[in-house]
Amino acid sequence: MNMTDSAAAAPDDGADFEPEVMLDPRVQESIGRSLKAHYDDIVNAPVPDKFLVLLAQLEATEHRAAGASTDELN
Amino acid sequence: MSSTDFKDGLIKEIPNLRAFAASLSGSMQLADDLVQDTLLKAWGNSEKFEPGTSLRAWLFTILRNTYYSLYRKRGREVQDSEGTYAERMATPGNQESHLDLADFRKALAKLPEEQREVLIMVGATGLSYEETAEICGVAIGTIKSRVNRARTKLAELLSIGGLEDLGPDRKSAAAMQRVGSEIVGP
Repeated sequence: MNMTDSAAAAPDDGADFEPEVMLDPRVQESIGRSLKAHYDDIVNAPVPDKFLVLLAQLEATEHRAAGASTDELN
Repeated sequence: MSSTDFKDGLIKEIPNLRAFAASLSGSMQLADDLVQDTLLKAWGNSEKFEPGTSLRAWLFTILRNTYYSLYRKRGREVQDSEGTYAERMATPGNQESHLDLADFRKALAKLPEEQREVLIMVGATGLSYEETAEICGVAIGTIKSRVNRARTKLAELLSIGGLEDLGPDRKSAAAMQRVGSEIVGP
């Protein structure tokens, strides 16, 4: 029974005590740039119209509901 | 906050929600379904949002909870049948950076979810470690540990752990950086 192996195979439960491998800062930087490239690529893609339509409908429904309750009061 | 202000706030966050949802689910189609659900829930619960706090963090919390409760299984099924978005998404830009971005996305998709989500939140969304910890419901130390493991695993998957491998990678990273900054602007 190899204790080291069984410890390494322990489920990932977010333990904070494991020894941290420090990556070369240049590798970290490279990963950071790639992460931003991946994310920004989607952020900068055109937003499908359906989201704007959906929000406009939700707002219009709310305004109609507000208008209706005002009418009832009058 | 008026409903128009709230709506405008939501509209501003849609691109970030899509990018986070795609990173989580590995599929642009699922990402857009997930964003739609998130917007509906946010609208229905707008009174629970505290003005002055981060709308992005609030929306990410809703999106993440929706993903884990409803979408996670579908995500795996879609990926199994269609491949990840990394293999299908067309990316503007030169061929070289396109290939590198696709490679990076494939590696990113291989990370365990809990590592991938924190790496994205901390590394790309502008959320702080504190906000990320709050969104995930874990301690800041756990977030730091997951980010560190995620980076190490990515370096391993991309074979850039060794310094000798950095030559061409530095070039590709610079190409990606150019693409990113051109779109984002100054």
